Amino acid sequence: MGFKVKFAKNNNGYCYLPGQEIKIPRSALLRKGYMTESDNILTCRFRTTLALCGFIFLYALLCLRVTYVCLGKGVNIDTAIANEQIADDEVIHFKNPVKRADILDRNGEIIATSLPTVNLYANTKKIRNASDVAEKLNLIFPEISYEDFLKKLQRRGAFIYLKRNLSPAQQMQVNNLGIPGLEFEDCEKRIYPHKNLFAHVLGNTNIDNVGISGIEKNMDERLTTSTKPLYLSLDLGIQNTIRDALVEGVKQFHAEGAAAILMEAKTGQVIALTSVPDFDPNENLKVEDRAMFNFATKGVYEAGSVFKVFNTALCLESGKVKITDRFDTSKPVYFGKAKVTDPHGSHKMLTPEDILVESSNIGSTLEILKVGKEFQRKFLQSIHMDKELTAFELPETARPLFLSKQRWSNHTMATISYGYGISTTPLHIISAFSAVINGGIYHEPSLVYKKEHEGQRVVSVKTSENMRTLLRAVVTRGTGRRANVDGYQVMGKTGTADKLENGHYNHKKSISTFVSGFPESDPQYTLIVVMDDPKASKETYGYTTAGWNAVPITRNIITAIAPQLNVKADFDIEKQKSIVNAAYKK
Amino acid sequence: MRSIRMAMVILWLTLTLTVALGSSVLKNKVQILERRLTSINTNIQKDIESIHVLKAEWSHYNTPERLRTLAQNQLALENAKPEQIINYSALQFNYEDSHTSNSRVNHKGLTTLVKAVKR
Repeated sequence: MGFKVKFAKNNNGYCYLPGQEIKIPRSALLRKGYMTESDNILTCRFRTTLALCGFIFLYALLCLRVTYVCLGKGVNIDTAIANEQIADDEVIHFKNPVKRADILDRNGEIIATSLPTVNLYANTKKIRNASDVAEKLNLIFPEISYEDFLKKLQRRGAFIYLKRNLSPAQQMQVNNLGIPGLEFEDCEKRIYPHKNLFAHVLGNTNIDNVGISGIEKNMDERLTTSTKPLYLSLDLGIQNTIRDALVEGVKQFHAEGAAAILMEAKTGQVIALTSVPDFDPNENLKVEDRAMFNFATKGVYEAGSVFKVFNTALCLESGKVKITDRFDTSKPVYFGKAKVTDPHGSHKMLTPEDILVESSNIGSTLEILKVGKEFQRKFLQSIHMDKELTAFELPETARPLFLSKQRWSNHTMATISYGYGISTTPLHIISAFSAVINGGIYHEPSLVYKKEHEGQRVVSVKTSENMRTLLRAVVTRGTGRRANVDGYQVMGKTGTADKLENGHYNHKKSISTFVSGFPESDPQYTLIVVMDDPKASKETYGYTTAGWNAVPITRNIITAIAPQLNVKADFDIEKQKSIVNAAYKK
Repeated sequence: MRSIRMAMVILWLTLTLTVALGSSVLKNKVQILERRLTSINTNIQKDIESIHVLKAEWSHYNTPERLRTLAQNQLALENAKPEQIINYSALQFNYEDSHTSNSRVNHKGLTTLVKAVKR
């Protein structure tokens, strides 16, 4: 065999009994270089022992850990959060209890919010004495009659509304009655803290909190799918100043109504938009149709001479009219039987600047005759005078009355040059006016804060620059003189047009408009003020033209808002020094 | 052999009992913490609701009209007029320097101007 077999006296020694299995140590075999088969029992024992030790070790470990945690030395939540050991989905994110998102102005001031309230309903199957319950409820809600409550309580049903939006005090009083069958349903009520101030912009919601007008309707999905507040480009303080000025103006001039829009000239962002009369959206009362009508975005009207701004811009842009050209306005212009005259009767040679300053219809007609109707139509289309501004975030917008190509005659071309024969909304006018003075880029108007719009060029930088000079002249020596606020280089154009009623012009009623921008050197803001049927008075010397009503209102507005908007006043430095010196001397 | 077996049994029993006791204590502690957590969550939710209502109330009390009335009644302040906003260069002292150097002299000038404007 080549190796020695030791005999032992016993199993542990060297002696083997006859027939007993001779065990040769594996190590001896291995030392001699023989291959051996492993002993299964030994392997099994070895592995069992190993597993047992492992289990004991793990069990002991578990014990230690449990003891350690029990002694209060487990996971420290604060440290775990700080070390980001807790996954984001494990951290509870608390949600605002109200489902409809708040609406904020550009400075984060709440202008519409929702408050959690409850509705009271009856499960009439559980109510035994309906008349007694009706009597008790009538004491808590005196605005609802006993008969009404009784009628509702006598109906058979498990869910009959008795009163919506209870105050906490009312809820407690009903609870204290302890009547089975009177139950509450959680709900929320839309609140407008500033009442009438944003009525036409925000609109309203119905009793089920669904938007039915204004931003509430247009952005209903956004407001209900995300609780993040919606920021509007409006400014609470500015809106209030402008509304106050309009309300005062309507009172002073006994007008039917008024509207105003303030816009950032270089972005199209609306900072204030108001139309009076208005309504309090918190009250679910029936309001007059006129108060519900948003004239600023839906009032389609003939703007009159304000259109001369666009006429002059398009004529200069065409290159066929130069800023130095002169036009003979001494004679009327005839189109068949129709003739174009000047109400003021200037009867002299006018430059494009004079035409704007004196608001000459004849001058505007002569200008456009040099350019032609094709270019005029194309230009007006480029400044969106032919289409509804559907991208604007209010559902209350309107399509302008823009004649078809077939009906666009030479006479139409002439009347449109001074603002008749085309009807648009104040929103259309202010957007187009901003484009003319801001360097020539048209931006779609928007109410959502910081909504970006690339814009499209409609006039050249040079034309825009020229237009600013001309419009400044209207304020320094033209019909807009009363809007000349010192230091702010206001520019603008007035327009007064007879009101169109049932297809006929009513010469006793007019709509006056003043569209303005400031400052001339770097136009930042544009403002349109529209007065619907202002009346003549002693103060206006019997006039109802824009220069006597819309212009002074604009002056009041710009005087108040320009410092609020941080517009740098361009005063003469010597004049300023004299003011400071005077202050020192005091 | 028997003593080893005995020791093993005792070890296992000790470990099992320790784990059982520990688990029980742990469960109890977790239940207490969960109750606390629920209570805290409820309070946070209530606080969020209260803050929301308070914000609405704050907005209601801060309407420009109300603030103007209060300001007119309580303060001697008026709206800033365009001519009151002046350039630095119109001042009688160098504002930029006074702003950076904290010079007493320059501040004196500013104080005088503020007093004059207040008057």
